[in-house]
Amino acid sequence: MEENFDPDLIHAIFKLVWSRRSKKVEGNEAIDLEQAGPSTSKKSRATTANASALKVSCELLRLFVAEAIHRAALIAEAEGIDTIEPTHLERVLPQLLLDF
Amino acid sequence: METLGDGSGSEGESDKEREEEALEAAALLRDRLRLSVISIASSHAKTLGMTISEPVVACIADLAFKQAEQMGRDVELFAQHAGRKSVNTEDVILSAHRNEHFMGLLRNFAQELKEKEPCMEKKRKKKASKNENKVQEP
Repeated sequence: MEENFDPDLIHAIFKLVWSRRSKKVEGNEAIDLEQAGPSTSKKSRATTANASALKVSCELLRLFVAEAIHRAALIAEAEGIDTIEPTHLERVLPQLLLDF
Repeated sequence: METLGDGSGSEGESDKEREEEALEAAALLRDRLRLSVISIASSHAKTLGMTISEPVVACIADLAFKQAEQMGRDVELFAQHAGRKSVNTEDVILSAHRNEHFMGLLRNFAQELKEKEPCMEKKRKKKASKNENKVQEP
C-alpha cells in the first residue's frame, strides 16, 4: 500500500556512521596504546544490524517523513491553502524534532 | 629521503583522501535518500489532497538523512550497551523512546514482521506441543 525506504540504503547510511565512529575510536586508541602494542582490529568492533532491525528502521524513517507532512498539512489546511509551504514546516519543526 | 615531516605529511594526505571519499559516499547516499523521500512525500500529500512545494521536500529529505545518521549512532550505542555487536529490532524500537505513540507503532510493526517470517517450523512445533498439552488435559 504505502511506499517505504530501501533497507539497503538505510544499511549503507548506518555503515557510514559506524565506520566514522570506529575510525574515531581507532584514532583515540592509537594515541593511548602507542606503547602497548597493536590495538584491537576494526573488525572486532564493526557493528552489524539484522534484517528486521533494518526494516523497522525504514518504518521509523517513513513515520518521520509522514508525520512531518501530516503536521505541516494541518497548518496549511488551517490557513486554507492546499500547498504545503516552508512556513508551514517551520511551525511544526520544533515539536517534530522533539518527538523523534 | 624520508623525514618526520614527510611522514606526517603523507599520512595527512591519505586522511584527507579518506575524508573526501567519505564525503562523496555520504553525498551519494543523501541523494538516494532524497529520491525516496520525494516519492514517499508525494504519495502522502496526494492522499491528503495537498501538494508540497520543493523546498519543503528538500528540507524533509535533509532532516531524514540527519535522522538516519542519528539513529545509526543511537542503535549502535544501545547494542553495545547491551553487550552486543549486532543491532536488533529492540534497539531500533528503543531509539523512538521520545514518543510513546511512535514506539507503540514500531512495536506493532516489528510484531507483524515476526509473524510474517517463515518460522513455520517453530510455529508447527509450538502448535504440536500445545495440542499435545490440550489432549492431556481432559
